[in-house]
Amino acid sequence: MRIATARALVVLVVSGVLLAAAASQAEPPSAQDIEESLTCQCGCGLTVHSCNHLQCESAIPLRAEVREQMALGKDKPTILKYFADKYGEKILSSPTAKGFNLLAWTMPFVLLGLGGLFIGLFVVRWTRHAAAPRRPTDAGPRPTSPYDKIFEQELKSFDE
Amino acid sequence: MVDVGALALAIAWVLALYAVGVSFAGGYLRRRDLIASAEHAALAVWALVVIATAGLLHGLASHDFNLEYVAHYSSSTLPLSYTIAALWGGQAGSLLFWTLLLTSMTAVVLLQNRERNRELMPYVITVLMAIAVFFLSMVNFITPPFTRLAFTPAEGRDLNPLLQNYWMTIHPPALYLGFVACAIPFAFAVAALITGRLDTTWIRTTRRWTLGAWFFLSLGNLFGAMWAYLVLGWGGYWAWDPVENAAFMPWLTCSAFLHSVMIQEKKNMLKVWNMVLVMLTFILTIFGTFLTRSGVISSVHSFTQSGLGPFFMGFLALTVVVSVGLLLWRLPLLKSENELDSMLSREAAFLLNNLVLVGMTFAVFWGTVFPVISEAVRGVKITVGPPFFNKVNTPLGLVLLLLMGVGPIIAWRRATARNLQHNFLLPGLLGLVGGVALFAVGFRHFYALVSFSLCIFVVATIAMEFYRGLRARQAMMDESAVTALVRLTAKNRRRYGGYVVHIGVVMIYLAITGTSAFREEKQITLKPGDSFAIGRYTLRYDGVESSDTPHIGSLKARMAVLQNGKQIDTLLPEKRFYKKPEQPTTEVAIRSTLQTDLYVVLGSYDQASNMATIQAYINPLVGFLGWGGLVLALGTLVTIWPSAAPRRAPAYVPGGAGQRAAAE
Repeated sequence: MRIATARALVVLVVSGVLLAAAASQAEPPSAQDIEESLTCQCGCGLTVHSCNHLQCESAIPLRAEVREQMALGKDKPTILKYFADKYGEKILSSPTAKGFNLLAWTMPFVLLGLGGLFIGLFVVRWTRHAAAPRRPTDAGPRPTSPYDKIFEQELKSFDE
Repeated sequence: MVDVGALALAIAWVLALYAVGVSFAGGYLRRRDLIASAEHAALAVWALVVIATAGLLHGLASHDFNLEYVAHYSSSTLPLSYTIAALWGGQAGSLLFWTLLLTSMTAVVLLQNRERNRELMPYVITVLMAIAVFFLSMVNFITPPFTRLAFTPAEGRDLNPLLQNYWMTIHPPALYLGFVACAIPFAFAVAALITGRLDTTWIRTTRRWTLGAWFFLSLGNLFGAMWAYLVLGWGGYWAWDPVENAAFMPWLTCSAFLHSVMIQEKKNMLKVWNMVLVMLTFILTIFGTFLTRSGVISSVHSFTQSGLGPFFMGFLALTVVVSVGLLLWRLPLLKSENELDSMLSREAAFLLNNLVLVGMTFAVFWGTVFPVISEAVRGVKITVGPPFFNKVNTPLGLVLLLLMGVGPIIAWRRATARNLQHNFLLPGLLGLVGGVALFAVGFRHFYALVSFSLCIFVVATIAMEFYRGLRARQAMMDESAVTALVRLTAKNRRRYGGYVVHIGVVMIYLAITGTSAFREEKQITLKPGDSFAIGRYTLRYDGVESSDTPHIGSLKARMAVLQNGKQIDTLLPEKRFYKKPEQPTTEVAIRSTLQTDLYVVLGSYDQASNMATIQAYINPLVGFLGWGGLVLALGTLVTIWPSAAPRRAPAYVPGGAGQRAAAE
């Protein structure tokens, strides 16, 4: 029974991963993709693609410039480097993944990893300190009133 | 009335300061007379702040333009609802409004605890009045709302047109209610630390306050999203603006606390962690206010910026120092009875839930402040915009969604193989089948497929829980399905209300997934009679219509909406030209169904050629954002609703009424 359950759960997880992998097909960058990687400088706080000020003195020329660069056959990293060199790093809508900026990308995951490790260590400690083995429960919270006890019993018998 | 208001604020400041000192002394010396005096002072502070607020509202309603605040944030042509909303439309008024909410909540806490928590109350008053002293200092000395001008202008400058929107009348109050309510659990936590009464009393006392804070933080964030969607006209509702982030962070930590507190209540674990979360949530509300007011990070909320930054920074630093100091002092008393039987347990799932929620909080915080850090360290200005936040938070959000399905159902202590199979096999299969089906019909967006599959999984786990509870109750009590469902929920409000909240959150995930992955957009310049297709619709431009009032000039494009060649609707996207101050705004036109929103914006209009530039968006599933918010609010109200007085358990014969009847 346990092996069957474990197999079923493994199949579920593996199928999910395969499905996800099949779905993740890389697409070539579009003008929208590059515009989303650049920040409009009009103060709207949006990307060049999202800025909806039609007379915007920043977004409109930048969009035209993106298309010019694409027409030269450049790929996305080259185009973004061109913009960063010309306007400064602040034009990019997210930090570059190098040098000091790597901290921006990695810190959340490093701290999550450390947090996970911390929790793991505590869980191991708490598991060892747990009282003598008790009967595992399949039900939810422990019943507190006579009514709840009866209800939980009915729930169990119904499940069985 | 106005002078009375200024006087009331001055007296309130003195009395609040008095309440801080006397309540602390009363608690320390165990002097009932001092504590009673402090409580009376706190109630008087509330009454005085009410008088001051009434004074400012009177000034606004009577168009007293000699008052600087009224002249800056209202006009004689401003509709009454926005005249009232002008109370929180400017710096001084919003700080006064904040003070009003804080002192009102303090008064409620005092009334609730006349006979209860007497050991904690002196310090609760100390903390709440200390916070009140800070805000009263702001409105008395830094940005007083009752400053008179040397002359009386004939007309006011009016409220920022962007704020003249229905959602802006309710977004700030909801958010402020959430922010301010976070001060109550914080005050009780500090009081528990000072007195050393670190059992679950303070948690039980503040449970509804925490849920209330979470409720209003949720609504505040959602109302803000609705406002952005309708007013900013860029087709989206969340841009990871620093101030949006500032409102989102306390929501995340408050959500973490609401989950981890269950472990403390059930198993007496995580005492330190829960303290940290309560303190962090309050600190983040002050941090959020600091971000909005200081202008240290550029934001679309720049209309509230001022020179208040250093004061808020100082208050923030003081709060952090006091919180950390108290926590370290009482660390030996916060020892928990930590026991965990297995990683496959509800406790472990909640720990992971906390890890992800706090991880997301840090990611949002880090992204928000990183431009400042970069400039300080490297001297280089950089931008951390929506692509960063989306990339970092999307995988974390999906893990959170998975845990939302697992956490409430998995067994406490240790899940057996049977428990896992019993609870998760069917929902897991349904989620997988849903994902495969979507893939088969052409969906290729990776995160969207994972998100939709997980949404199906979570809804299935919740549906199974309701179904099992319903059937068990029906077997026991011989009730109809509707009656059984209502009573099942009423009898276990916290559990089933929580499930309803989760359904609301799933609906919000659907909206976020739909709009993030499948949005379509077009921008096109048209002459009358021209049309273009977007999604399943065709839009035809039929010219413009204009109108003029003393307050607003308006230009609307008449857009016929056609489907399968038949006209089904007319949309009127609008450009408004506010006259005081002179500022154009965008009023979008939306044809909304649960499946998609057709969102149309009039970009520009050339009178000479009669040509209009139209931006149109198809936003799939965005309707679930509002409905999800409604379900979430409903679920929270179920969990928060007070239980009736305890009654004796109903007489019951095992076997159930139905079976007895059959036997007879």
